[in-house]
Formats: sequence, C-alpha cells, structure tokens
Amino acid sequence: MLTPISEIWAEADISDELDLKIKKYLRGEAASFEDLKDRKLKRQLSVREELYGNAAKAAAKAEKWLMPNEGGYLEAEGIEKTWRIKQEAIAKEVGLVNLRNQYDIVLPDLGPYTLDFTSSGRYMAVGGRKGHLGIVDMINLNLIKEIQVAETVRDVVFLHNELFFAAAQKKFVYMYNRDGTEIRCLREHGAALKLQFLKNHFLLASVNKFGQLHYQDITMGEIVGNFRTGLGRTNVMQVNPFNAVVGLGHAGGTVTMWKPTSSAPLVKMLCHHGPVSALAFHPNGHLMATAGKDKRIKLWDLRKFEPLQTLTGHANTLDFSQKGLLACGVGSFVQVLNDVSGTQNYSKYMTHSMAKGYQIGRLAFRPYEDVLAIGHSMGWSSILIPGAGEPNFDTWVANPFETSKQRREKEVRSLLDKLPPETIMLDPSKIGTVKSTYREKPTKQEREAEVEAAVEAAKGTKLKNKTKGRNKPGKKIQKKQDAIARVKRPYLEEKINEEQKISHKKQKTGENIDLPKSLQRFARKKSS
Amino acid sequence: MPVTKRKHRDETSHRRGHSKPSRNAKKKKKTGPRLPSSLQKQLERLNPTVPIESDQDIDSADGDAAERDLLPHDFYEYEEQRAEEESKKNKRYDPGSVDNLQLPIDRSDESEDESIQSDDDNEDDDDDDGLKRTGGAADDDSSEEGDGRHTRMLQGITGMPSEAFEGKKKRKMKDDVIPELYPESEYNPSRDVVDGDGQISIDDLLNPLQDNPGFGKLRKRIQQIENNSKPIHAPLRTADQAKVERKVAYEISKKEVTKWQQIIQRNREAPTLLFDENVDLGFSTVGAIASEFEPRTEFERKMAALVSDDKVMEAHKKDGSRLLEMNMVSVEEEKDRQSRIAKMRSLLFRHEMKAKRLKKIKSKTYHRLLKKDRLKTEASKIQMDPEAAKEFAMKQERLRAEERMTLKHKNQNRWAKRILTRGLNSQDEGTRAAIAEQLQRHAELTRKMHSMKDSSSSSSDDSSDEDAGDSGSDQDMASKVLRKAIEKTKKVIEEDNETPKSGLLSLPFMRRGLEKRKEAVVEEANLAIQEYKDSKNKLENSVGSEDPETTSISGRRVFGASKTHISDAGNKVKSDYNYGSSDSEDDIRASKNGNIETGGSNILQKDVNSDSVLIQEDTDNHQESVFKDFNEIVKNPGPKTTYEVSLFVSDTWKKAKNRNEGGTNGKKSAIAAGPVRQDIKDTVKEAEEDSDTDSSGQMVDGILTAGSNLSYELPSQEELIRQAFAGDDVEDEFDKYKMEILNEENPEPEKPVLLPGWGQWTHVQKKKGLPSWMLKEHENAQKKREEAIKKRKDARLKNVIISEKINKKAEKLHTKALPFPFTSKEAFEQSMRVPIGPEFNPATAIGPLTRPEYLGVQYNECSDVFSELKKEEPYTKRNIRGGDREDRLLRLLRLLRPSSASVSGFLCNGRLVVCCPSHPPLCAGLLWFVLFGDLRRFSIQAVAVPRGEAPRLTSPRRTVPSLVAPGLPSPQYGGCGFLMEKADIYSFGVLILVIVSGRRPLHVLASPMKLEKANLISWCRHLAQAGNILELVDEKLKEHYNKDQASLCINLALACLQKIPGFERGDGS
Repeated sequence: MLTPISEIWAEADISDELDLKIKKYLRGEAASFEDLKDRKLKRQLSVREELYGNAAKAAAKAEKWLMPNEGGYLEAEGIEKTWRIKQEAIAKEVGLVNLRNQYDIVLPDLGPYTLDFTSSGRYMAVGGRKGHLGIVDMINLNLIKEIQVAETVRDVVFLHNELFFAAAQKKFVYMYNRDGTEIRCLREHGAALKLQFLKNHFLLASVNKFGQLHYQDITMGEIVGNFRTGLGRTNVMQVNPFNAVVGLGHAGGTVTMWKPTSSAPLVKMLCHHGPVSALAFHPNGHLMATAGKDKRIKLWDLRKFEPLQTLTGHANTLDFSQKGLLACGVGSFVQVLNDVSGTQNYSKYMTHSMAKGYQIGRLAFRPYEDVLAIGHSMGWSSILIPGAGEPNFDTWVANPFETSKQRREKEVRSLLDKLPPETIMLDPSKIGTVKSTYREKPTKQEREAEVEAAVEAAKGTKLKNKTKGRNKPGKKIQKKQDAIARVKRPYLEEKINEEQKISHKKQKTGENIDLPKSLQRFARKKSS
Repeated sequence: MPVTKRKHRDETSHRRGHSKPSRNAKKKKKTGPRLPSSLQKQLERLNPTVPIESDQDIDSADGDAAERDLLPHDFYEYEEQRAEEESKKNKRYDPGSVDNLQLPIDRSDESEDESIQSDDDNEDDDDDDGLKRTGGAADDDSSEEGDGRHTRMLQGITGMPSEAFEGKKKRKMKDDVIPELYPESEYNPSRDVVDGDGQISIDDLLNPLQDNPGFGKLRKRIQQIENNSKPIHAPLRTADQAKVERKVAYEISKKEVTKWQQIIQRNREAPTLLFDENVDLGFSTVGAIASEFEPRTEFERKMAALVSDDKVMEAHKKDGSRLLEMNMVSVEEEKDRQSRIAKMRSLLFRHEMKAKRLKKIKSKTYHRLLKKDRLKTEASKIQMDPEAAKEFAMKQERLRAEERMTLKHKNQNRWAKRILTRGLNSQDEGTRAAIAEQLQRHAELTRKMHSMKDSSSSSSDDSSDEDAGDSGSDQDMASKVLRKAIEKTKKVIEEDNETPKSGLLSLPFMRRGLEKRKEAVVEEANLAIQEYKDSKNKLENSVGSEDPETTSISGRRVFGASKTHISDAGNKVKSDYNYGSSDSEDDIRASKNGNIETGGSNILQKDVNSDSVLIQEDTDNHQESVFKDFNEIVKNPGPKTTYEVSLFVSDTWKKAKNRNEGGTNGKKSAIAAGPVRQDIKDTVKEAEEDSDTDSSGQMVDGILTAGSNLSYELPSQEELIRQAFAGDDVEDEFDKYKMEILNEENPEPEKPVLLPGWGQWTHVQKKKGLPSWMLKEHENAQKKREEAIKKRKDARLKNVIISEKINKKAEKLHTKALPFPFTSKEAFEQSMRVPIGPEFNPATAIGPLTRPEYLGVQYNECSDVFSELKKEEPYTKRNIRGGDREDRLLRLLRLLRPSSASVSGFLCNGRLVVCCPSHPPLCAGLLWFVLFGDLRRFSIQAVAVPRGEAPRLTSPRRTVPSLVAPGLPSPQYGGCGFLMEKADIYSFGVLILVIVSGRRPLHVLASPMKLEKANLISWCRHLAQAGNILELVDEKLKEHYNKDQASLCINLALACLQKIPGFERGDGS
C-alpha cells in the first residue's frame, strides 16, 4: 500500500504548521543547560523544558479546535489590484450579516465624531464635537444611550467594560455610565485633548491643552502620574497594547513614550521633521506607525528604534487592526495598508474615499470583525476591510456575546488581576529577571591584583635627581616607600572601613549581652 | 664417637687435597670447599706431583680398591655417581616416586622410634646405607668399614638384625657428616671462598640433598623456581602495603555505597517526590527487626538454643524465681571465675604501673633542654654571684689538680694501657671515644704549654707593629689614599675626553649624546674629587677651615648643570606629550623641529614654550572633550571641528617653527616669542569664551560655520531636498536636547578652578597653573563620563534618547540575586519564560506544570493532632474522665516512636517547654497530652526544632537538659522483642520524670549523685512510697513552681511507669 504523495505532503505541511505553532507557544528557546555544573538543576531544567514542550504541543494541537475560523482576505486576479476593489464590489460578495456593517450614519450637526470600541468590539462609544455622546451596540446596531452634554467633547473612551466611559470635555474629563449618568468629574486632568485607557492597569491617561500627561487610577481614584511633557500642545496619543507605554506625538516631530512612574519620557525620538499628526501601535508592540506633517508615514521598529519603512503621504489618523492592517485617514480619503509578505513591508491594500467634504477625524478597527469605523465631520461610517480582525475570539479575553453575569465575574477577576503602575516598562518581559542594583563587589583576588598593580606603578616611577643635599639614597628610598604607602592607602582605608562596619554590626547584634550594668536599664526590654 | 669424628676430619683433609684434580673431572658444577688462591699455590708448591699420584698415595693408605675408581671425584661427585647408580639401576630407590609421599611420615617415624627397621630402607636418606646393602661390604670409607664391623659385632652379640644398629649410626652419620664438611671457621672455609669467586649459591646448599630421598617436594619447588626464573620481589614496605590494602578496601566499600546511588540520583532528579502512606519501608522498630532474627553462626545458634529453651521460656513466663534456680552456679566455677578476675586485675594493675612509669619518662629533647637550662643558670650564677663564682673557681681548680695528679690524659693508667695494647680498633665505640678524648686533652694541654712560652714574644711584636702604624699617622695614609683617588679620577676624565672623529659616533646626535654623558661623568668625577678634597681638608685641619670658595663654586656648578639637565628633560617630556595629543601630522613634524631646536640652552624661549604648552594643553583638553561628545552624536561636523583644532595648533606651531629657525640668536627668539605667546593666548581666550557660554550649541554652530568655510562638500540631492523640506533645525534642536539629557543623566565633571586665596599675592598659582592632581581628577571624571555615554543604549541611535533613569519602584519586580541552584542568569531567565498558569496552558498541561515538589503524606499525624485538638475544643469534664480518653491517648502516643526519643524540655515557672528536635508530632502529642490530662494549667510552649539541629533552646534562667535517653524505652523492648502500644506510655512517663527532675533517666556513673538517685524511675518510686514526691523536682527551680501541678505531673508519670503493661493509668489521680 502506497500512500499518495499528496497525503504525505499534507502531513508534512501539518507537521510544519504544528512546529510553527509550537514554537510560538514555547516563547523562545531554552537556555543551553549543557554547561551547567549542577547536575540536579540540569535535570530539573530539562524536565521542565520537556513539560513546556508538552504544554506547547498540547496548545498547538488545541489551537486547531479552538480557532476554527479563518481570516478573510481579498484576492486580486490578473491585473486586478486589491485597492481598486470598491466597497460596493465587496458588498455584492459578502453575506447579509456582514452587509450590515457597511453603512454611513450622517449626523451633520454635531460632528466631527470620535469613536471608541470596547475590547470585545461589541459596543462603540461615539462622541460628537458639539456635545453628542452615545453608546451603540454594534451587533444589533441598537443605540443604547445617547446624551447631549452641551459642551465641547474632544475624545471619548470606554473604561474596562461597556458600563463606563469617559469623555474629555471642554474643561474636565467626565465619567459616565451606560445610562448616561455622570459618575465623576475628573478635574485634575484639565481640558484633556485625548484620552486613553490602560485596561490591565485600570489607568485613565489623558493629555491636556498644556501638554500635561495625567494618569489616574480609576479604581481608587488617585492620580498616579502627572507629568509636564514640555513639548507643547498635542492631541496625538496612543497606548502601546503590548507594554502599556503611552506614546505622544509632538509638534517638534518627536514622539515620546511615557510610563506613569517617571517624570521623564522613557524614550524620546525624532520621527519627523514636521509635527507628528498621528500615531498607532501594532498589537504586538514591536511596530509603530507615525505620520507627520512633512508628508511622511513612517513605520518604526520599537525594538531597535529604527525606521523600517517610510511612505509618502499625509495622515490625520492612523490605526492598526488586530491582524496588523494599518489604516490611514486624511481628508475624506481612507487608505488601508497591508503587510502582505509578512516582512513588515507595508503596501497599499484598500482604499476608500468618502463623499467630498467629509473630514475624517478618527479611524478605528472594530475588534474581532473585518470592519473599519470612520468618525468624520458628518457622522460616522463603517466599511468592510477583509482580513482586518481576529477571526476567533477567546471568551476569557474578550467575549462579544458576554452575558451580564459573565461580565460581572470578569470585572471582579480583572480587578483582582490589576497590575500596579510600576509594571509598565519598555520591556515587560524583563519582569522577574535578575537585576542587581548595587555594583558587585570586586573579589578579594581582584582587589589584591589592583593593589599590586598600583604598587608596581608606584615603584616604577622614576624619581628626579635632586640637588646635592637632598639626593641621598636614604631619602630616595624613603620617598619611594612613601609613594607606595600613598598608593596603598585608599585600599587600606576601604578595608578598615569595612571592618569597622562589620564590627559595628556585631556590636549591634551583641548589644544586649555586653551592656554594663549601669546601662542595662536603658536597654530595650524584650517582650515576654 | 670420637674416633669416627677424627676419621671424618681426616677424610675431609684428604678430600681437600683432592679438590683440585676433582675439578678437572667434574661433570656438573663447581662445588665443595674452596681454598684461597694463595693457599692453593702453597699447596701446589708442597705437592708438585700430579694430583692422581697424590690421590693414589692417600688411597694407598686407605688400601681400598673400590675407592680407586672414584679417585678423581670429590665427595659430591662421588655421591652424585652413586645417585645415578641408584636411580638408574635400582628401581627400589626411585626417589621421586617414593619419597614425595613418605617424607613427613618417615621423619616422624624416625624421630619416634629409630630402632624400628622398615623393609625398604628408604627412610634413610643416606645413600651409603643403600650402597651397603647393594654393594655389600664395598664401602669406601674406612670409618664406615669400621662401623660395619662394629654393627656386625653388635649383631653377633645381640642377635638383632644389623639394620637396627645401622639406622642409628647412619642417622648420626648424616647428621654429623654434612655439617662437618663445612665447618664455618677459618679452618674450613667454603670452597667458593677458597677459590675466590663469590658467594654460596643456592645450588651449593641444595646439592647435597640432590639425591636424597625425601626432599622431593623441595626439589620440585626449586625446579619451579628455576623454570620461571622471574625474581620474586621483596615485600613492600608496610606503609605501601597498607596503601594498597586501603585502595582495595575503598573499592569494595565504594561498590557497597554506590548501590544506593541510583536511587538517590533518581530521587534528586525527580520533579516530584511521592510520599505514599502505603510504601513498605521494611522494619520500623527494633522489635520487628529482632523478631526476624535468625541465628546463623554457631555461637548464635547456641545462644538461640539457650534462649528458646522451653524450660527457660516457661520460667520466664511464669516467675522470675525459677530463672534464678536455673541459674545455679557451682562453687568451683565461682572460684575459677574469681581467680580469673584476680589475674586480670593484677595484669591490669601491672599494666597501669608500667604506663605510669612510661608516662614519667621524658624525651631526649626534654632532657637536653633541661641540661641546657641548668648550664645556663649555672653560668649566669657564676657571673652574678661572687660566692658561686668562687665556688666554681674552686671546683675548676680541684679538677685541674686532679688532672695533674692523675695525668689521666697521658694514657698511662692501666686501663688505657690495656686498651692500647689490645689495639684501638678492636674496642667498642665508647672506649674509643674516651681514649680519643683523653688524647685530645693531652694535645690541648701540650699546645697550651707551648703557647704559654711563645705568647710573650708575639704580643710584643704586635704591639710594636701597632705602634708603628699609629706613629705612621693614619692621617697621612688617608691623605695619600685620597690623593691617589683624585689622580685616578682625573686620569679617567682625561682619557674620556678623546672624541671620535669619524664613523657612527661622529654623527651629530651621537656626539651630543656622548657629550652629555661625558658631562655627567665629569660632574660625577668633580663631585668625587670634591668629596675627596673635603675629607682631605678635614683631615688636614681638624678645626675645619675648609676652602669655602672651591666648595661653593663646585657646588654651584653642579647645581647649575644638574638644573639645566633636569629642565631639559622636563621640557622635552612636556612638549612631546603635548604634540602627541594633537592629531595632524604637521604638528608632529613641528614638534620634532621644536624638540631639536629647544635642545639649545635658551632659557627664555623655554619659558615661553612651557607656558604656551601649558595653556595649549588646557584648551586642547577642554575643546577636545566637548568635541568628542559632540562628534559621537553628530557625525557630520566631526572632521570640521577637528580641523579647526588642528588649525589652531598648526598655526601656532608654524610660528613657533619660524621662530625657532630664526632663533640661534637669543635676543631674536625672545622678541619672536612675545607675539607668539600673545597669539596663542588670544586664541585660547576665544575658545574659552565660547565654551564658557552656556549653550554649547552656539559654539558648535560657530565652529561649524568656521569649518564650512574651509571644507564645503556639495550635499547630495536628497539631502538638499530634505533640508529644504525640513522645518527649522528640528534635528539640531533634538541633538541639543539630547546633549542636555546626557549632561543631566551623566553630568559633566566640574571644571577645575583656581584655588581661591592660594598664592594670590605672589601669583604662584597663575604661574604654575592648576595643581596636577586636580587636572588628573578632572580628566578621569571626563573619561568616566565618556565611557558611561558610550555604554548607553542610545549611544548609537542618532535621533533617539532612551532614558537610563532607574525606577526604584520597579526594583521590586526584579529579583536582586540569582535564586539558589542557578548559577547563570541566562539559565534562570530562560527557565522563567513560559507562564505556567491555567490562563496560558491547556488543561492537560497544567497538572504536570504546577505539580508540587512533594506529594503524599507529610506530617499527616501532626495535622491529625491539630484537627483533633480543634474538634475537641469545648473542654468538658466528661472529656477528661471519659472512658475513650485512654484510647485516644494511646492513639496519639503511637506517634511517639522510640526513634524520636531525643527530647528535651524543662519545667520553669509553671511553663513546660518541650523541645523536640526531630519530630513535630511528638511535640504536638505532648501538647495534647498535657492539655487533656490534668496538666492543663501549665502554660505550654512546644517548640519544634527543624531536623538536623540539636535542641538549642536557651533560656535566660538555665540551660536545658538534653537527653538522648538511655533508659527511656520501656523494658518490654528488651524483654520480648515485641513492641506494644503501652511501651510508649512507659517512655512518656520517663519523659515526664526527666522533664520535671531535670536529670537523665540513668545517672549511673560519673556523677556525684547518690546511688539511690541514679535510676530516676526507681528513685521516683522510692520517693512516692515515702510520700515526698516533690523532692524529685529539679532543685534549681527552688520554690518557683506550683507544687500541686508538679505532684500531679509526677503522679502521672508514675502511673505511666507501671511495670506490667495494662496497669498504666493516665489519670492524674
């Protein structure tokens, strides 16, 4: 019996695929413990590695069953180009459910609109510049609540779930619940221009008119960080979903990255020669897209802080989809870039132009859907971008069909798992690693070698010949000895200091025993 | 048998005579006695005849025809031949077949009864005997003939067979003859010795036995040795042998030990260890082990037979009295035993005495040191004490007198004479030494005598010599010497003055070098001369009217010369350094020129040079540091700036060069130096001003513009476009900002400033510049900063600033040190990379990933105890008195295994502290017991000490008696070998007693305690009977305890200590 070749190939493909997946779950290579001297440790580590391997394999195998859906895509035939395909053409091909995602909502009075999705993509918050706030259920397109706050609304953002959202209004930031009830007025933020919510840390970040960056813990209400960027007014702000570092784009062409525990930016980089107009982070955290007024869109590798790709073009707003598609919006024109080859070489994927005169204010991919929402001056629109969203959702992470009970439970859980603000750092994988703050003491041998070298150097110095009376050999020897002593002195002093410290410690510990009788009554009494 | 003996001797002498010719006819080996060659010669001289003739002579005397055949043979050959005869012709005497078997028996037979005659006469080793029977009367030896006659006679008289007598005789013969052949004295040296070649070989010794029956074994052995002629090594030294043995033993023990290794390794490497309750570990108690015991050796079997004797068992079971009956001892046995013991005692006593004596004996060194000490003290005494000195003198005198009287040293006493006549060599060492000593003494004394005679004349000679020397005035001598020295040095100088006119040495720089060296030499010489002169002067006029002029002149000269020299060197060094630091080649060339030119002795110019150099250095330092920083960040303006610097430098040096070229004239150069100096200063000032302004960027700009004038490259098209489209100088601003950040995070070291007030009036500081240490410090700080900047993450990234600030709050998220088994950071971090939580792993993988290190029961008993404690929290009377209490107690005490008997505790101020090193359940059990017994009112503190640590409970009041208890286990352990539950109660009783009394359960020896107190338990019982239990409580407590509770405690213990299991009552009553 011969198995058909195609089958063999298929098997090989499957194993390759599996290997790839396993690699993903293994999260890197094991350190080579061949050169470890401790055999016990070696054995334990190898056992551990084996367990990891098994776990990864199990996960990779489970993936097949847990991720049944495949992402959508556009395929061009012949001389066709994907970016020539219009929304109308797509509409003809897709099913009814998806057809519902193509719409324009025209609200000409209160625009331009800004948008935000919950992490599951079920709900959308909309905020019109002229005070129009609303929450929309995206599945049945129900308007859950809409309110008119009667003052400028600059940004709107969901908090940890759809029950609460924050809006940056004329003077302050306000928190509302789903019913439109104002819960809090966050005065410390001032007139915020842009809001971001760090969902793992429960921090609401805002940047205001004066270029001040605020972090507020929404569970306890305390301001965690309040920093002056010193780089002027900006409304370009985005959170890196990977490490929760907040990126700000400034008028000087610089992008700064912040964490709530330091007043200086973690990174400051000059990205553009003109002001930075938009900023977006790839979900994996390694890629950043910036757009500047110098008609450049740049993609940056955040591990090396080097530009990967520079494209020409303006963009007022940028957004990465879950699958890594980059949407750029300028004027009434939307362009979606795609990394076709997987080499982070972005090229034009789709385009969409709105009706003339529409000014796009905000682009937002809807999570877990191939939908791009466009907030513009005349309301908001929704278009289909095949292959934008993650096709499979993890109900433990984000469940679009969450029941209220699940939501409550998740709320509690996420509160329990809340991360402290100091865990925000450029490379969060460094948490738990070894980092010794103090300088390692030189070993005794090293110190001795140092002293010896110094002494040798002192011996090697040639003494000048002095005038007659002072040129005695005895004096010369004396001088040499003095020089050596001088060289040795700091080391000796160090040693003495150390010894003193030790003796001091000893004294401290042995205090109770040695106290003379007259002083014993002053000694601290032991609690019996 | 004196007759025979004599005869034998005659024979031997005859045979000695034969020895030589026999050698000629010898078939096998040289054997037998040998004469030294001198003796042989002598013999030859005496007997010049042919050996056969002599043989004949002798033989004729013997008058035996048979002998004649064997004449040329010597005793051995003769025997050998006989042996051949025997072995070949007479089968009866095959020695190999018979003797091997019978040798030992024969010997014994012979020794036991010689008279018994066996049929085949093989017990007689002597072949002569055989000969006699085979060959009848044909015997060679006259003595044997005589013997034969004698035996015949005896036969005739007694009527017994002749063999009876012969045997005896032959034995004697054999015994006698062979040793008689080689008497060891000088009368009969062995033949080898006589012949002059070497030693007795083993063959020599064994040949006589060659054919004797009965040595088969030996022969075989010899054969073996010969066949494999490998030499047998000498036995190893004991130390080496021990080493080898140890090695082997180690191997064996290693094997024994390593059989566990696999298990241990497996356990160590296992990710989780399973402690299952049901694992059978084999025997757990002494009793169990004892029950499995099976007698193997004879002794054990006997013991077992005795122990398991029915009668004994029965008696044991029934009553102890029967046992006593069975154990009856007879009077004799007892006596015997006593005498044995007495003997042992006396032996012991003797041994002890001996040991004592040995202990008293001090070592040789001790005695030597003692003697030395004694002598020392005596000597000091003599010196210090006049009385003692006197005594000593007297003693000496007396000794001397004695000596003179006896004239011992002359060796004229009888003893000495006798020794001398005997010859010193034959004496033993002691006497020899004594004689030698005497001789020495004699020699000494005679020498003394002579010297006494000579001394007067020699001393006078000496004195006269000295006088002459003195009178000759050492001053003159010294001056002479000095004069000579001066002359010599001068000569040397003059010789050196010749200079080579051609060749390599005539080259200018060589000449210069030579001159310099010469100068140095001259100086040295001058110095030396000066010194000589000084000393001379001193000698001449002791008042010290030195010639001030000469000294001062010479001094000055020296001073001046050395100064110039030094300054020269200094200058060179400085200038070299300076030029080296600048980059462009021109400078180096210039510096060379400068070097050569400054070799001249123009002081002014030098001054200028050094000044300028200093300043230049300063500026260079500063500018370079700034530029360097900048260069690393902004690469473009890099070369320009350096060029700028070089421009400065080259300008000045061009000027300097000019000046130097012009400057053979001192004045001219001085004039030229002025403006140059000013120039330099100006430039420096400018630079300093620039750098002083806060914004280093401005300075940079300025330089940039300056530089661009000089070297302008056409930028590429792209660059042009970029510049065109760029906003303002965003990049420059960013760079500036980066500089600021760098300065902030790695602050620039403070520029050293002049010390305020230091040398202000005298302008010393201005002249000298900053102290060198300050400059060095500054330099070091600068270097450090540069390194730090280089190490930054953003050092290579042009438009990026990555903050290096340490976040103290985030420190807690990192581990400060590597956790224990890890040694490399990488291994640790990689081992932590995979999350193991349920959120990140499939359910099947979580189990193994998060499995604990140990599984199964661990101190389950302990937890049981506490759960039980909790359950029975409501304390009621029913609980204490209840019937099931006993059971519970037993259940609990089952945990108190005898293995965990090392327990310490004390009772103090109503507090019972139990310290149990190994077994937490024991503590817990105690706790429980005391809680639920009536001891509840004690406050209780149970301390479980971790495994492996000794009980280490220190109290301020007293130390804790720690007991590893002999006497703690109950008698049932020893008795029947079965461990019962009640036994533990017994142990517990003992434990309580121990705790209360603070004594060991058995204090038999080494304690001042009374005998009755030695056994704690019996003592306690005794006290209980007397009714004063409280005496038992530790005296050290004095009155600080609750008497009721203590008595309760002891009662409880006594209840536990009932002899017969089943009678124990846990009740406090």
